[in-house]
Amino acid sequence: MMAFDAENAETDEALLAAYATGDARAARMLTLRLGPRVFGHALRLTGNRTDAEDITQEALLRLWRAAPDWRTGEAKVSTWLYRVTGNLCIDRARARRPNVALDAIAEPEDGAPGADDRMQEATRMAALQVALTSLPDRQRQAVVLRHIEGLSNPEIAGIMDMSVEAVESLTARGKRALALALAGRREELGYAEH
Amino acid sequence: MRNTDELPDDALEALFAVARTEVPLPSGALMDRLRDTALAEQPRPVVRRARRGPVSALIEAIGGWPALAGLATAGVMGLWIGANPPQALTGLLVASDLTALAPYDLSLLDEEG
Repeated sequence: MMAFDAENAETDEALLAAYATGDARAARMLTLRLGPRVFGHALRLTGNRTDAEDITQEALLRLWRAAPDWRTGEAKVSTWLYRVTGNLCIDRARARRPNVALDAIAEPEDGAPGADDRMQEATRMAALQVALTSLPDRQRQAVVLRHIEGLSNPEIAGIMDMSVEAVESLTARGKRALALALAGRREELGYAEH
Repeated sequence: MRNTDELPDDALEALFAVARTEVPLPSGALMDRLRDTALAEQPRPVVRRARRGPVSALIEAIGGWPALAGLATAGVMGLWIGANPPQALTGLLVASDLTALAPYDLSLLDEEG
């Protein structure tokens, strides 16, 4: 367990440097660490599993190819990946508008323990995903980065190449648009007033 | 002006909180493809080959490092015996041996003796 913990303590940047020297262990660890992260973000932005899978493969392929020239201290791997993933999602959305996205959320199994709770969570996530998908691309990206990925406004400004003030404005408008898209669904989502 | 029907802030924040914990997971097949691509794209490890100079060539010619160690031990032992001859050897120096030193000034030996 100690070795596992020690490996987890390595930064993305240190692992990427090891990757560039041909360390196969670093390749496996980075894939395990970054694959789910990029896929989750891409799925929130596209609302479509197939698109999210394609984008994850493309984003990580670009990272592997950038690894030999990566300059430690200049860029964080996570920031770089958020930017590349966001751009790939926007490119794809421009080429093809996404379908209404209900496949972003796994179906809960009936009869399993806590099935009712899981059904409720699935309903909430599906509703949120549909509402997110209805937002303009940049608004959706800003809201996901701020409220789901939990990044700070300056970090988002770096990822989206805009000022902090513009990020604040974009997330505020995005949040308001979400509230409107989910209007009248408070009880259905299990957030009824007591 | 706020639409009274729109989802209130606390409910929206609760939805975000669920989204932060309910992270969608990639399939095992995708993870396998990602790992295969990572390994296929990875630069080959750099193997440093030692440069062979004349000294290492000489060492190899006499049988490598073990032979060199033996040679060094023999040399040190020779020096040691020369500097501190064992008592058993000093008795072997007999008078007849001294005649071989005749061309040299034996008085030196007498002075020392």
